[in-house]
Amino acid sequence: MLTRLAGGRVIDPANGRDAMGDVWMRDGRIVDAPLQMEPDATYDATGKIVLAGAIDIHSHIAGWNVNTARLLLPEYHRAAMARPATTPLSYAGWSTFEIGCRYATMGFTTVVEPAVSPLYALHAHLELADTPIIDKATLAVLGNDDYLLGLLRGNESEAAIQDYVAWVLEMSRSIGIKVVNAGGAAAFKENLRAFSLDDVVPDYGISSRQIVNALQRAVNKLGVPHPLHVHCNNLGLAGNVETALATIEAAEGLPLHLAHLQFYSYGSEGERGFSSAAARLAAAVNAAAAGVTIDVGQVMFGPTVTASSDVLRQFNARHRARPKKWLILDGDADGAGIVPYDYRRGDFYNAVQWAVGLELFLLVDNPERVFFTTDHPNGAPFTSYPEIFALLMSRDLRAKWIADLPSAAMAVTTLPSIAREYTLPEIAVMTRAAPARLFGLADRGHLGAGAVADVAVYQDDADRAKMFRAAALVFKDGELVVRDGEITRRTWGRALTVAPQRDRAIDRRMKEYYETRYGLPDELFKVPDYALGRPEPFEFVPCRV
Amino acid sequence: MERAWIAGEPVALDAAIGEAAKLIAASMQPLIAGLGTDVAGVRAAISLAQRVGGVIDHMHAESLLRNLDVVRSSGVMLTTPTEAEMRADTLLVAGPVPQTGLFQQLVSGSSGRSAGGKARRIFWLCPGRDAATAAAGRNDVKVVGGALRDLPALLAALRARLAGRAVAKTATSIRSLEQLSRDLKASRFGVATWAVAHIDPLAIEMLCGLVDDLNATTRFSTLPLLPADNAVGALHACGWMTGLPMRTGFGRGHAHHDPWLFDSRRLIGGDETDCVIWISAYHAEAPSWPGAPPTVALTADGAAFRVPPRVHITVGVPAIDHAAIHYLPSTGTLAAAAASQPSTRIAVADAISRIAAALPDDGARRC
Repeated sequence: MLTRLAGGRVIDPANGRDAMGDVWMRDGRIVDAPLQMEPDATYDATGKIVLAGAIDIHSHIAGWNVNTARLLLPEYHRAAMARPATTPLSYAGWSTFEIGCRYATMGFTTVVEPAVSPLYALHAHLELADTPIIDKATLAVLGNDDYLLGLLRGNESEAAIQDYVAWVLEMSRSIGIKVVNAGGAAAFKENLRAFSLDDVVPDYGISSRQIVNALQRAVNKLGVPHPLHVHCNNLGLAGNVETALATIEAAEGLPLHLAHLQFYSYGSEGERGFSSAAARLAAAVNAAAAGVTIDVGQVMFGPTVTASSDVLRQFNARHRARPKKWLILDGDADGAGIVPYDYRRGDFYNAVQWAVGLELFLLVDNPERVFFTTDHPNGAPFTSYPEIFALLMSRDLRAKWIADLPSAAMAVTTLPSIAREYTLPEIAVMTRAAPARLFGLADRGHLGAGAVADVAVYQDDADRAKMFRAAALVFKDGELVVRDGEITRRTWGRALTVAPQRDRAIDRRMKEYYETRYGLPDELFKVPDYALGRPEPFEFVPCRV
Repeated sequence: MERAWIAGEPVALDAAIGEAAKLIAASMQPLIAGLGTDVAGVRAAISLAQRVGGVIDHMHAESLLRNLDVVRSSGVMLTTPTEAEMRADTLLVAGPVPQTGLFQQLVSGSSGRSAGGKARRIFWLCPGRDAATAAAGRNDVKVVGGALRDLPALLAALRARLAGRAVAKTATSIRSLEQLSRDLKASRFGVATWAVAHIDPLAIEMLCGLVDDLNATTRFSTLPLLPADNAVGALHACGWMTGLPMRTGFGRGHAHHDPWLFDSRRLIGGDETDCVIWISAYHAEAPSWPGAPPTVALTADGAAFRVPPRVHITVGVPAIDHAAIHYLPSTGTLAAAAASQPSTRIAVADAISRIAAALPDDGARRC
């Protein structure tokens, strides 16, 4: 099957292309324009923008936390809008089926679920296997687990930590490692209520910084393409910019990704002791070593739910839930907290948060190191992306929003003074080329020959929100899956995963550990291929040798 | 070998599948009940319900939703079986509790293994008739209160005392309330537990509030004892596939959750369903309601029906006859289990897929 996408403006920054032209696909891959061959199918892209499929690097779309949030909030479904009609369970609200279809409709073809406790990996993969069209991947959460803390307490070798990390990646079928408030959940078990980078976990005698550094080195040494994904300490607290700055400094030149930095860009100035420190943090990111990247976690106004493995933070926030209900899980390692929240336009703090996110986007110079996220659903549901693209691309639109927000809030940010407007090529870098590089996905995020034929085509509309809300055409693995914002075909994607080399002696050690600690076989927590009921559930991403 | 019957007469599996499809295709309001099956079986059942505009319920939905109702209307601290087993130094039991595996584990566990090896202290509120067995092999269980009906008042008084508020006289003396309050506050990691089948939502909510209050100064959490037959696995699969728990109907063309409207027993009693698909793969259990409409039963071997169902197919038991994924009470997670005695008995998921494949291809039927 040879397909020609004809006459669109092809924006493919990874290959230095921004010109009118064609894109050709054959058997699920992008190919060079063939000589003297007639395509089997031609799609007219005149007046349209042709991009690689977008990649979301941090969106909580599957697993125990997300599903518990669904069960906690049945009323959120009633307000849901009409669903694509051709999918199973198409009117079902916030289901896995809907998530896959809605992402595809916006031209997203790969999404990373960033917080899977290894014990719940099977659950997360079952949900992902029921998420249509998009490819997906998971990050395994470590850093509050007894085995790792035990290795650190025992001053075990770096090789021992690497073997353990490699074992976790394989048993949980993940693409990388995330650390959430390193040591914070372990400290909360011992009744500590606050935890910072140089605080020490009781009993283990290890600081948060030591945990982050150990995992960062292990991930790097194993050749896992995605650097350690860090959710810092002190999320959401006034003055926490110091924590973020210290964490960036702690990277010590090695690659490190800092997640949803909007939630860490707060100063403590102004009458209410809460202000934007985004400009300071953006300057630090601009000056940091090349391997340091961030994503934003943009806040948008409206009801949502915060679902996080940062049990300490969620515990401290539980009585501020909107509506007033919540669930805190004292889990085996990290635990979790589900706290509904309503970001309100008239709320000083929420308005500052909204501005802080946009400041980060606009003040980090290089779109290769600031990634597009709302930390779905924590800052806002992913369905709000089109509005965020529009805000990034238009100063006038931002000015309109700013005029409607509390002026006291805007006064403690720099947003009103920022003139920058993102261009389409910059959007393409931030949502396509750079995410593929960040995860080592050589055949994604671009439109060069050999790439996976994941392509999103948008009507070039001055109303950018409208343009990005409903793609004109989306191809997944070369198959047309969306036309004019409607799902035309439902395919099942794959989960991308890594399997770095390890000393197999760790397998026996882990078996013993599970039997001694839990009295249970470690097999119980593995994700077998047959479990997912799809013909090819996984695709391996190579590690650096 | 699977065995199949139509109206009590043995038939080939294909014939039973065909008859089941005919019944479902002719039904105005099919009901999928029981739902005692692994995750694959639940997924197949939900897909079928969606396709034919049916209702999906579970045999333990009543007690499961009773607990969920508290979760979705207030605040809840929750822990996992492994975490409780590992770290709890205090166990607060409320109401009668069946001596199930997990509960036995919690009670007989010498202590939280990381809690310094001291014996786990156990307080039992209103054990009712289980008082005699409350000791569960331990002679140091502290029992407070007696009959289950006293539990709500006891919890309310305890919570008030804990908060330093005055309380009216209850069946329990102020002195023992205060002692209990001090004991609970002195825990390092306490876990409250109850059997969701036995205590009412207001008592559960009061317990959850009590636990939240205790967290003002120490660490305390809850571990409800949940029903069997993969009820929790079914709840999760319903959650991700529909966004909603069981007791959800698809007759309107979209998922609609209503715990009263879609209660199997009420639907059958009110003559609101004309075809029941009853699933019980873990136990050879027949539905308990009398005089059901035409029924397609998928059960483990040996189910005894008062009246033979219209179609009956013996299915494999998950994790015995075939590999399965289901909720594991000992870990609190979904886990994969290999077949312990592999057989050719058909799995629920396969039986439903074959029935679905035999339905006339009219897409999703709409009234």
